[in-house]
Amino acid sequence: MKALSVLYDGLVRKNPTFVLILGMCPTLGTTSSALTGMSMGLATLFVLVCSNVVISLVRNLIPDKVRIPAYIVIIASFVTMLQMVMQAWLPALYASLGIFIPLIVVNCILLGRAEAFASKNNPALSAVDGLGVGLGFTAALTLLGAVRELLGTGAVFGARVYPEDFGSLIFVLAPGAFIALGFLIALFNRLTSRQ
Amino acid sequence: MLEYLSIIFTAILANNIVFAQFLGICPFIGVSKNMESAFGMGMAVTFVMALATAVTWLLQHFVLLPFGLGYIQTIVFILVIAVLVQMLEIVMKKTSPALYSALGVFLPLITTNCAVLGVAIIVAQKDFGFIHSLVYAIATALGFALALAIFAGIRTQLELADVPRPMRGVPIALITAGILAMAFMGFSGI
Amino acid sequence: MKSTLTTMVLSLTALTVVLGALLAWVHNLTEEPMAQAEAKARTEALTEILPPFDNDPAADRTVVDGLTVFPARHGGAFSGAAVEAWSDNGFGGRITLLAGFDASGSLTGYRVMSHAETPGLGARMGEWFSSATGSRSVLGTAAELHVRADGGDIDAITGATITSRAFLEAVNSARNAYESYLKSISR
Repeated sequence: MKALSVLYDGLVRKNPTFVLILGMCPTLGTTSSALTGMSMGLATLFVLVCSNVVISLVRNLIPDKVRIPAYIVIIASFVTMLQMVMQAWLPALYASLGIFIPLIVVNCILLGRAEAFASKNNPALSAVDGLGVGLGFTAALTLLGAVRELLGTGAVFGARVYPEDFGSLIFVLAPGAFIALGFLIALFNRLTSRQ
Repeated sequence: MLEYLSIIFTAILANNIVFAQFLGICPFIGVSKNMESAFGMGMAVTFVMALATAVTWLLQHFVLLPFGLGYIQTIVFILVIAVLVQMLEIVMKKTSPALYSALGVFLPLITTNCAVLGVAIIVAQKDFGFIHSLVYAIATALGFALALAIFAGIRTQLELADVPRPMRGVPIALITAGILAMAFMGFSGI
Repeated sequence: MKSTLTTMVLSLTALTVVLGALLAWVHNLTEEPMAQAEAKARTEALTEILPPFDNDPAADRTVVDGLTVFPARHGGAFSGAAVEAWSDNGFGGRITLLAGFDASGSLTGYRVMSHAETPGLGARMGEWFSSATGSRSVLGTAAELHVRADGGDIDAITGATITSRAFLEAVNSARNAYESYLKSISR
């Protein structure tokens, strides 16, 4: 039961993108299409679950004063592993996400979850928390990517909805990222404040 | 000289780190509520970015690459930045209390400012020379400070506007940033 | 755990050693697939842009004027070559491409290998300059290329003249290197 509520927290009630407004750089930088947005979300999810579990495992072995550097080393190690694995088996995807993969290290969501959850809970629950928050992040990035791709090029996940010539390219470019995200957060606020 | 001018111009305006490269968005949204803190943050970032880029460049070219350790770049860089920020805080506290009281509160925030790590990685990826890297880092940081200052100016005005409730706070800030990004796109044609 | 100097140093050292070993292991594991992925991408690109060949252009490569040339042979006879060239004047920095030429010097194909151009605008150079519409295509040309705005006869990508210029600059430098290469082998 507790696991379910932790999952729901990450996905909706404390959604990292729409409610906590964390990890804005990859959110804006990698969502020029639904596919790249989703890939970025899944990459973050992977690191988040791994680092949450490991931090939870060693939480009682790390002296309090050096816990933040220890967390950073753990997170950075998993990011480096992800970098190597992606370069080896998914080189095209790695190239399209570019610098935002190494920058997962400084995504505030990861250090935030380590400090707020994994350092206080058991590994199983920390894994669920990582999964919930990661999925919430992935869902938000996929949605934003889909909206930008649809308005910008008339397609979603590459599947054509209306002819490309009617698309408004600005949504694929930098300004469209800010504007689309602004409206999505406003919509999320409106929907959740009604309840 | 002309070459450096073009690097500076591109990094500050045409390829602004916030509006075109999407780095350093968190402090951009968080610390831009008034002019004073925007200025402080901008200066602190410029200082750290120049220092971090210099140190990581030396490490990359004299330690990581010669020993074939390029793959642990991410870990080494983030640790260097974290240590630098910490040291800077201690040194500043001891030697210049005035500077510390002005910039000190922003220092811990800088470790997780992805613009700092981002610039260190970009410089390593693009294989810039040492001076080129430093110029690029300082210009990029000034671009960040400029974005922060402009945005703080707009946000103080925005406080007075009657914004629909769901749009208040972050949403309207993002949309404003979008319009600013459009304005900055104008520089890229030059 | 209590933060004494001993525990702090010990725990951080242990953590670094364990994670360092793990990273070295993953690095060993991925090193070969990484090199293979790179080689595979290049072979694919060469097969697409060159006239049919039966040698290994990557093994026969030489460097001409600072650019890498991948010569293609069919049944022992020289059939053309691909040149890896770049331009630093793209909108987002460097554009690297492979350009393929046949023995007579006309462009048989190209593949953009890496770029940082704007999606939806400059990033369309992959399809734009090989499409049959209007005078976009650079395929089959044998002379130096320029966009219309600069007095040439290639249509620039709509809204991405800077990218188009940089792209053609890279193609032209590939062609120059190819011509020097032809001279060097006919000597």
